[in-house]
Amino acid sequence: MSNHNGNGAPDNSWHVLSVLVENHFGVLARISAMFAARSFNIDSLTVGPTHDPTCSRMTVTVRGESRIVDQIRRQLEKFVEVIRVEDLTEAGPFVARELVLVKVSITQDSVTELVDLVNSFQPQIVDMTLESVTLQVVATPERVDEFLALLESHGLREVARTGAVALMRGAWGLHQAALAE
Amino acid sequence: MSIATTESRTPPGASTHPLAGQQMMGAEMVVQVLADLGVDTIFGYSGGAILPTYDAIFRYNAKLADDDAKRINLIVPANEQGAGFMAAGYSRASGRVGVFLVTSGPGATNCVTPIRDCTADSIPVVLICGQVPRAAMGTDAFQEAPVFNIMSACAKHTFLVTKPEELEATIRSAFDIATSGRPGPVVIDLPKDVQNWVGTFQGEGLLEFRGFEKRRAQLEATRLTDEAAAEFFAMLAASQRPLLYCGGGIINADAAGALSEFARAFRIPVVTTLMGIGSMDTTDDLALHMLGMHGTAFANYAVEDCDFLIAAGSRFDDRVAGKVSEFAPNARNIAHLDIDAAEIGKVKNVSWSFVGDAKVGLSDLTAYGRRTGFAKDFSKWVEHIKALKRNHPLDYNRESPLIQPQEVIALLSRITKGEAIVTTGVGQHQMWAAQYFDFVNPRQWLTSGSMGTMGFGLPAAIGAKLACPDKTVICVDGDGSIRMNIGELETATTNGVAVKVLLLNNQGDGMVRQWQRLMFKERFSGTDKTMHMKDFVKAAEADGYGFAERVADRARLQETLERFVSYDGPAFLEVRIDPDAMVFPMVGPGAGYKEMMLGPYIKPREARDEKMGEVKADLF
Ligand SMILES: Cc1ncc(C[n+]2csc(CCOP(=O)(O)OP(=O)(O)O)c2C)c(N)n1
Ligand SMILES: [Mg+2]
Repeated sequence: MSNHNGNGAPDNSWHVLSVLVENHFGVLARISAMFAARSFNIDSLTVGPTHDPTCSRMTVTVRGESRIVDQIRRQLEKFVEVIRVEDLTEAGPFVARELVLVKVSITQDSVTELVDLVNSFQPQIVDMTLESVTLQVVATPERVDEFLALLESHGLREVARTGAVALMRGAWGLHQAALAE
Repeated sequence: MSIATTESRTPPGASTHPLAGQQMMGAEMVVQVLADLGVDTIFGYSGGAILPTYDAIFRYNAKLADDDAKRINLIVPANEQGAGFMAAGYSRASGRVGVFLVTSGPGATNCVTPIRDCTADSIPVVLICGQVPRAAMGTDAFQEAPVFNIMSACAKHTFLVTKPEELEATIRSAFDIATSGRPGPVVIDLPKDVQNWVGTFQGEGLLEFRGFEKRRAQLEATRLTDEAAAEFFAMLAASQRPLLYCGGGIINADAAGALSEFARAFRIPVVTTLMGIGSMDTTDDLALHMLGMHGTAFANYAVEDCDFLIAAGSRFDDRVAGKVSEFAPNARNIAHLDIDAAEIGKVKNVSWSFVGDAKVGLSDLTAYGRRTGFAKDFSKWVEHIKALKRNHPLDYNRESPLIQPQEVIALLSRITKGEAIVTTGVGQHQMWAAQYFDFVNPRQWLTSGSMGTMGFGLPAAIGAKLACPDKTVICVDGDGSIRMNIGELETATTNGVAVKVLLLNNQGDGMVRQWQRLMFKERFSGTDKTMHMKDFVKAAEADGYGFAERVADRARLQETLERFVSYDGPAFLEVRIDPDAMVFPMVGPGAGYKEMMLGPYIKPREARDEKMGEVKADLF
């Protein structure tokens, strides 16, 4: 956001907002347009259906001062279709995961080297040709960043990331909390 | 993204509506629901994709006697933008929801400006746009525009009616959303085949929005806690120089009474924003009129001097705050009351806040202060304020042979005794009207504040006069602004709407020229209209104005204004004003109040060099 008064040192901590929305036409379009219109620099935005056909869940990851993240949350709460917004980074321990597919160029000699290199990310080989291999990794967004950084000098060709999805740890859940009361 | 079923809140069959259970066309349902909601006037322009609904209005009225109060008055503008501003003027003047109805494509896109204007100033209106039939959507059909996308970016909320069974609930929900919390415009994109669909009328029910309803219920139930009130009064007790800074939120919340009571109970002076004018009787001792870029010197000095700023229904807009870090530099505490949680801390960090209805917040504060016997004496501060008002009043060139715009407004204010509804265009004339008019009550001052939309004044005046037929409604317009919607001159006479149009003609875009004078070395690029040919008086005569005059002679000014105001019917008066008159005070864009320019006629507070030099031109 451009119009803050910039008190204090910039804090770029990572926030994960979980947003439960009414499963209506155009909600995603509207919300992503709001991020653009207000110059909120979000890292990722994902949306998908839930077990409840009336709700979708969006996960927004953003780096920024907590007052800006707070502003994002309040702007989200102005949408009629937004049922509940939770900043998981503030609500308690949570898990965040992202899936990435990467296509890497290989030669016959380099395959084993590659597999050794990325072994700690537990990649799955989902496609392979004589010249290329496509790996799938599921990890936290930071780990995905590290994975990609590692491959950069090893023939990285194509990347497709899903953006993070996240849930609170423990029994508590946003959906239940929002709709129970 | 899938399209889900939204259940109506009320089960079918439970309705007590006399027409419940009847078969109706979608278009008839629209009109019936609007009538049920008390809509007496619709502003709009027909066309292919909205024809069924226009036809339904015709048929609805045809069933009623000519004088039946239930008739829906249809006002057709020259341009859909006019319809939007008429609906906005209607709403601003009355507090009711303004309704406009247009066709698809160009009809809808012509409404983008008024919709954005209503969002920016928090005005509740509902726009219904025809849309091509559902099956044709997305095919680049004739007069198709992506209204849902366009309007979603501009409106408080936008509906696209994809399920005919949800149509009537959608209309009701649109009104509900427009008026709840921070008010705003709601757009309904209504495909033609949904208007032609026939189904069973339910007569009640709203769409279900779980989070929205919960948040709204919480907001409406919010009272000020005793702890919060105690904290507030501790800050007030620690303060020597408290100041209320009130905005349009006070008007929207109908909190003007609560504000005056609070201010008077504890003797706290009040400055208002452009949008907040009228939230306190401007002639009250405690009222300091407008602050900000073109605020009065005494209001801005008070902001500089205060040690406790109480913002109510205002939002530290850049035209008010200027350089945010230097705004109210001596305020040790800032309190903020607003209905919109997103406004708290958005621009300026505050020490205390109340998110809720301004009327509730202010009345709870008053009650708590009275109950606890709060009686701190601010009389020294109030004396200081009075001295500021006395020593640094607004002033202008009183020697010039040319008519000064400020004197026109001051005269008009005196003639109408502060009781007229005033609308404006955007520019210098708007600021002079804001500065020199007195307003006894809220909802008398209708101006495009946040968007600053030229062309607002004339249609807004028509809407206001239709909402408040017993009030004198004056549009103070500029020669540039009035041109934007000049077609609406005729709309007033066609419909017998007795607006008074006062044109302050300075032969150009005065406000822009003022900036060019201050920041662009008098390079008047694109703003000089001395070569323009238009004879405004003839234009008004051509449109049927029984009173259409021009005055350029200072000696005739008062007499002409009096006849203009007392004329029975639509009246047009062009006043040729000094083209070089400037608006002062002026706090340049992005500047602090310390750099306020007072011009040659307002007395500065300390003897210091009033520089009129170049202001930074890269600011907006
Ligand atoms: C629709 C629109 N276009 C452009 C502007 C920029 N603008 C602000 S004031 C102004 C000049 C207005 O001229 P006029 O209506 O004659 O008012 P004056 O300042 O001369 O009193 C302009 C062009 C605007 N506010 N709105
Ligand atoms: Mg002008």
